[in-house]
Amino acid sequence: MNAAAEALSLATGDLLADARAKTEFLQVRDADPAADGTALRRLALWATRYTPTASPWTEDNDADGFFLDITGSAHLFGGEEKLLADLASRLRKNFGLPARLAVADTPGAAWALSRFHKTPSFVLPPGQEAAALAPLPIAALRLAPETRATLRRLGFKTVGSLLDKPRAPFAARFPTELLRRVDQALGRIDEPLVPIVAPPVYHCLRYLIEPIFTHDAIIAHANRLMATLIHVLTRDDVGARALRLCLYNVDGAVETIDIGLTLPTRSVAHVARLIELKLEALAAACDAGFGFEAIGLAVTCAEPMPARQTELTSASEDGNRTERCAALIDALRQRLGPHSVRRFEPVASHLPERAEVLPPIDGEATAWPEAEQKPRPLLLLPHAEPAEDVTALVPDGPPRRFSWRGVTYDVTGAQGPERIGAEWWRYREPKPTRDYYLVEDSTGHRFWLFREGLYGRETTAARWFVHGLFA
Amino acid sequence: MGFAQPNPAPTAALARNRATVMAELRRLLPPMGEQRKPLPFGLAAIDSHLPDGGLACGALHEVIPAAEGCIAAAFGFIAAVLSRISSPPSLGMGRFCKSVDALASPHDPHPTLSTREREQQARLLRTPPLLVVMPAYGLRPYRPHGRLHSHGLNALGLDPARLILVETAHRKETLWAMEEAVRSAAPAAVVGVIDTLDLKLSQRLHLAATDAGLPLFLLRPAPPTLPSPASGGGWGGGSAAATRWRIGTAKVARDRFGLITQPRWHLQLERCRNGRPGEWVVEYDHVAHRFSLAAALADFSRARGAGEKSIKQAS
Repeated sequence: MNAAAEALSLATGDLLADARAKTEFLQVRDADPAADGTALRRLALWATRYTPTASPWTEDNDADGFFLDITGSAHLFGGEEKLLADLASRLRKNFGLPARLAVADTPGAAWALSRFHKTPSFVLPPGQEAAALAPLPIAALRLAPETRATLRRLGFKTVGSLLDKPRAPFAARFPTELLRRVDQALGRIDEPLVPIVAPPVYHCLRYLIEPIFTHDAIIAHANRLMATLIHVLTRDDVGARALRLCLYNVDGAVETIDIGLTLPTRSVAHVARLIELKLEALAAACDAGFGFEAIGLAVTCAEPMPARQTELTSASEDGNRTERCAALIDALRQRLGPHSVRRFEPVASHLPERAEVLPPIDGEATAWPEAEQKPRPLLLLPHAEPAEDVTALVPDGPPRRFSWRGVTYDVTGAQGPERIGAEWWRYREPKPTRDYYLVEDSTGHRFWLFREGLYGRETTAARWFVHGLFA
Repeated sequence: MGFAQPNPAPTAALARNRATVMAELRRLLPPMGEQRKPLPFGLAAIDSHLPDGGLACGALHEVIPAAEGCIAAAFGFIAAVLSRISSPPSLGMGRFCKSVDALASPHDPHPTLSTREREQQARLLRTPPLLVVMPAYGLRPYRPHGRLHSHGLNALGLDPARLILVETAHRKETLWAMEEAVRSAAPAAVVGVIDTLDLKLSQRLHLAATDAGLPLFLLRPAPPTLPSPASGGGWGGGSAAATRWRIGTAKVARDRFGLITQPRWHLQLERCRNGRPGEWVVEYDHVAHRFSLAAALADFSRARGAGEKSIKQAS
């Protein structure tokens, strides 16, 4: 409800016909909850400049505001009142939004006071929830409409009239919601907040007097933030495994850059390089717009990183190399995408196409089993390709000639078969067995062919496939 | 005079100078000995053609399949050379080191592993990885011929766990990833797959490899059947690579049970800076990580002729 609407004495909850009767200039649009939700998320993200824990309201809370957990961060703004004043002025200036703000010990009380207290910004001293809530209407308890209606019919108008009654009759007559909401407002039970982004372990934020635009400036400020963070990281013997750089645009948008690391690090240069790579990759998408007025760096995941003595000679070369490797993997991942750097992992399966996976690198490599004395091709085709015109001396024997991709090969030697059964437990209808042969043609090309299906038992006309190339 | 009372001013000066002193000492001390040593094939016939008796470590090496179908052989040759880099043959010393490591570590990071697995893990941690830059885009002829199979690498004696595969979306990324990997000097070797290479690009990559002291193997596609002088940039002498190998297939020998045990390749050393070109047919033993000349064809009469011809061209 904005000022213009209030001037025309419109009210939330009016019927459309009534509203049309009050004014003739009314334009009607359908409500778009999805867009509202997106806008609220954006606003909550913007508000992470005050505290890392910002939690936009869900449907339960009418989805038109957000909670900020300002425990421990209010003093950075000179106290709770100053923080509220700063928040209100920035909301008005940046977004043109009038806001109702309240600070209380519990989210429930803060919600109630922000809605129903007479002043638009109010700070409740600790321990006075009951007294402050007592004069407020029942709606201040965030109840479902039916519960509210029942209470009104029973004659309860204010929260205070509920608070001094015995609990047992309420527990018997109403769903648990009523007492839960009362307890949450008064701080008798906890109300966990779901933060919009995972709260960081360590966090450092810097307001800038002049907005910055260039990559160099962003990296220089990120460097300074990391240098600040390093003191706490060193103190706690930990290194950063994941970092998030938040760039607060002047127009209220927030750009976040997530950086994952292979090994815990405390190196400013390494982090700066990764940010630079990411900014390069984002160059088109990341729009500086009017510039960034604040920049924050958060360690979202920290892992123990014991201090190590650096050594002069090659004894430390192994350790250095491990670090350099991790740095290289980080750099490649930043530039090429998180799934582009992979490593082979073995899978216990006889089917060659299932015997390996290629997941993105995460942590240490798993040790591979010793190579078995079975031929395995160096290059495996993604899908076995049919071999045409296969001739074999006997139906069960190796091929003497086949064509693949339009070229006919004369087989001069073959080795096999190696029989690999299908994994019947994975399929509803059984797949045919394969007989693999290593065959060599007259010029020394070596192929891995298989015949699908057992003659007589599974098939009458077996088909041949090329599945790989040997070195 | 006082050891008991350290003077604060010199301490601060020392701390300030420590970095510079360390940097100076690192510069003066000889760099990692075995890193700079060339990689010998262990075959006098081949090593005598190469400068310093082996493949130069900090250099660019081109590997070209002789025909499109020889791509697996070219990959196999690279895998064989890589497996010789990563697995030093001195097994006895390695075991000793492992047991010392096991004694020295007070807490076991992997209590569930068996001794063998733990040894493997320790070896993995100590040996630097090998980096392979594989284009994920349709680069002929590599893409249509499938992808590297880890069990096939294992069968060639190259531990797949040592490999880091980097997938790139286009040519620019491939070049960037290769140079980044080489410059970091973190992996033991870098392998890249690329379509064309010009002089400038090869100089840049070669320089990066020289600075870092890493071998960089570049796999290039087989040449067109009729090299035209117009497209000479890619195929003429315009490359700064230290060596260029052309790998072809060769018919394998069988053991007395008729089994194929060792792959056999036809190697042509087409260009070699400070060395002589040559041509050999070699076998590779994946257990001992050893090359050997294929017995019947060990003396290739064409080798000398090819060498003289290209020396004449050079002069």
